[in-house]
Amino acid sequence: MSEYLFEMRNIVKEFSGVRALNGVSLAVRPGECVGLCGENGAGKSTLMKVLSGVYPYGSFEGEILWEGQPLKAYSVRDSEKAGIVIIHQELMLVPQLSVAENIFLGNEITKPGGRMDYDAMYRQADALLARLKLKGVNVAAPVMNYGGGYQQLFEIAKALAKNARLLILDEPSSSLTSSEIDVLLSIIEDLKREGVACVYISHKLEEVAKVCDTVTVIRDGEHVATKPMAELNTDGIIAMMVGREIKNLYPRSEHAIGEVIFEARHVTCWDITNTSRKRVDDVSFELRKGEILGVAGLVGAGRTELVSAIFGAYAGKSTAELFMDGKPIKVKTPEQAIRAGLSLVPEDRKRQGIVPMLGVGDNITLATLQHYSHGGHIDKNAELATVDREIKRLRVKTASPALAIAGLSGGNQQKAVLTKMLLPAPKVLILDEPTRGVDVGSKYDIYQLMFELAAKGVSIIMVSSELSEVLGVSDRVLVIGEGHLRGDFVNKDLTQERVLAAAIDAKPQAA
Amino acid sequence: MQAQQVQQFFVRYKIIALLLAVAAIWIFFHIGTDGDFITPRNVANLLRQMSITGMLACGMVFIIISGEIDLSVGSLSGLLGGVVAILTVNMHWGTPAAIAAALVVGLGIGLFNGFWVTKLRVPSFIVGLGGMLAFRGILLGITHSATIAPVPDDLIYLGQGLVPIGLSRVLGGVIFLLLLAITVMRRRRRNKLELKQMPVWMDVVKLVVIGAVIIGSLRMLNDAGGVPVPVMILLGLLGIFSYISTQTVFGRHIYAVGGNMEATRLSGVNVARVKLAVFAMMGVMCAFAGVINTARLAAGSPSAGTSGELDAIAACFIGGTSMRGGSGTVHGALIGALVMASLDNGMSMMDVDTFWQMIVKGSILVLAVWVDVLSGSNRG
Repeated sequence: MSEYLFEMRNIVKEFSGVRALNGVSLAVRPGECVGLCGENGAGKSTLMKVLSGVYPYGSFEGEILWEGQPLKAYSVRDSEKAGIVIIHQELMLVPQLSVAENIFLGNEITKPGGRMDYDAMYRQADALLARLKLKGVNVAAPVMNYGGGYQQLFEIAKALAKNARLLILDEPSSSLTSSEIDVLLSIIEDLKREGVACVYISHKLEEVAKVCDTVTVIRDGEHVATKPMAELNTDGIIAMMVGREIKNLYPRSEHAIGEVIFEARHVTCWDITNTSRKRVDDVSFELRKGEILGVAGLVGAGRTELVSAIFGAYAGKSTAELFMDGKPIKVKTPEQAIRAGLSLVPEDRKRQGIVPMLGVGDNITLATLQHYSHGGHIDKNAELATVDREIKRLRVKTASPALAIAGLSGGNQQKAVLTKMLLPAPKVLILDEPTRGVDVGSKYDIYQLMFELAAKGVSIIMVSSELSEVLGVSDRVLVIGEGHLRGDFVNKDLTQERVLAAAIDAKPQAA
Repeated sequence: MQAQQVQQFFVRYKIIALLLAVAAIWIFFHIGTDGDFITPRNVANLLRQMSITGMLACGMVFIIISGEIDLSVGSLSGLLGGVVAILTVNMHWGTPAAIAAALVVGLGIGLFNGFWVTKLRVPSFIVGLGGMLAFRGILLGITHSATIAPVPDDLIYLGQGLVPIGLSRVLGGVIFLLLLAITVMRRRRRNKLELKQMPVWMDVVKLVVIGAVIIGSLRMLNDAGGVPVPVMILLGLLGIFSYISTQTVFGRHIYAVGGNMEATRLSGVNVARVKLAVFAMMGVMCAFAGVINTARLAAGSPSAGTSGELDAIAACFIGGTSMRGGSGTVHGALIGALVMASLDNGMSMMDVDTFWQMIVKGSILVLAVWVDVLSGSNRG
């Protein structure tokens, strides 16, 4: 018997001549958590698809061993039968079905004749959730009654119901609040003690450092290194991921902060379904010329709603008094907002940012087509000249501007969306989670761009769930909690603890 | 590897695969009818039949690209054809005035449909379904379920007439020169921006083939007396709609709205206005189709345009329009319409029973979309 529960040796996977993976190895001992790190496009998802049987045995080179024996998985079902279960970044739950039905989806406990044995499923679902120390869940209630943190744990319960012995977690914390992340990490620790092994894929290196015993780093499809976490720190992992050392992830440059340019007063948003509930309650703030204003808060605190309302994009009812250069502006639609000098780069790139089937160039010019057109006719020369210039300026990696944007990596898509919203030359740029799911290299480019813009006098509002990012980039920090403004701090000697305390505490604070 | 390359070629140049399919269908019918199918007379007839579905498909392809559907177009074109017949026959309006009235009413009803979809947020499927019933009902009401005839000769000319041979030659030349100019300008632009060029020989081959098709079809149609007027109108519409879809802000917005409505809205595009305009254009195209249909039949019929929406939608899908919106071409939809018309015409000539015709057309639609899905072009 091998010391490893699971081993991949020298995996090579090619797509029509392009090597996505070139000799990657990964090994997991029972009860061990291995962190898999790499930039977007490094080959992590390809490796996961090999691992979980999405790419059948024989479509790649190299060996996969399970308890020392060769594993030949021809489908996801085969690898699940062996005990390998993958939990995807986007949760695969059916919101309308009950918690128990989701946990046993595709794996139902039945009575003769194919009837669902609800009693048995409820009992076992309760037992599984108890194992995850999850209390107060009604397993017969629809999944949509529960928040993202719970749902992530339901996914784990679903994996355990399949007798998972190796859990693969792909960016499990991307939609969780920091307290939910702590719960998740402690549950992984528990599972490790029970002998369940994990592969933890995440961009959030603090989590990797907390929960992983070993770290494997891949870059451009190559295996860079596998080291025990004890010998590493997050800077070391970053250096291995990017292949160069990023001394300071936040390339702060001094920029002059001018007069108040934009003001939002009494922003209030009501919930879309429950119209008596306020998602944002009477928030007011000012923004100065060339200032970077970070907006922090827990997930669901109302930050996205706040900036959507300012941009005229909030789906429900909202009210706000907005002033640009001291004059009141009327913003009921994004169209009016852009005309008034506001731009928003939305939170969810796939759903709100890109038009996947259109080319990179067409995406970039979507907000400013009228700049290159006369009487409705597009001057494609002028359009392409702009696109070419912007692609070079922001280092968007694409073979051609005509290529569909869906084919680009997350970081490059984000740069394209950013470019799109910069072309209208906004006075105020609103960025909602600008670096979510973006690799370290692109992150650095985005921060650098933000500082450049600020130096040119563009004011920036940045909503972010990563406190280190908020503190690393902002001149001033607003803290939103449960729809209220909980704090307005100058970012000087400000600590993550203080911001977090303000986000959780009900008492308003001022610096 | 070879098979894969062939597949990739067809994915990229879907239009060639479609044209090959049309050629195969034509050859099949030509043999099946002992050489009666590809004759000047029949081709002229076939194109004339196709033109009405083609006009509806022009409007429909924009509707589908924008992510909607309109089931009311058959009934609406029937209604507008009926309106023209009533205005000319019963109310003795002049043909131009009657046509103008139909176009205005078409525009109005299109806007009305669009208003329900965009402002009142009723799904377009339902709005279309309702319109399909209601417009047919109005048609039956205003015609008292009777055929209205005879319509004036200048109206009939639009459906049955032929373009003078000299004029069609001139127009053929103009179309060729236009395509030549577009190709040259595109090469220049791509050169200037250092973009990848198609090899010169490919563009030359393309132009030679197009030139040959123009000369060939002109000769053939002129042998039958000339190019049918509706076919010439359809060609004009093809030009206008292709221009809108590829060269205008509005066209780009249609693709963007269908590709991702939320992202487009957040880019400052008034998505409701784009969709409203698309529905309005659909209404106008219904007027075109209705007028031509009445002219072709020389009468307003209470059953005119029945299942026209299905032919138009089928034409779009056969022509490679994505079911989820966001992609598709006007010329593709028109070749789709040609496929449908060829099947109708060929099977009628071979005396195939109506029930078989329906079965075959239905099967071809599903098969065509299946091939499209297989080729992977509609995924993602």
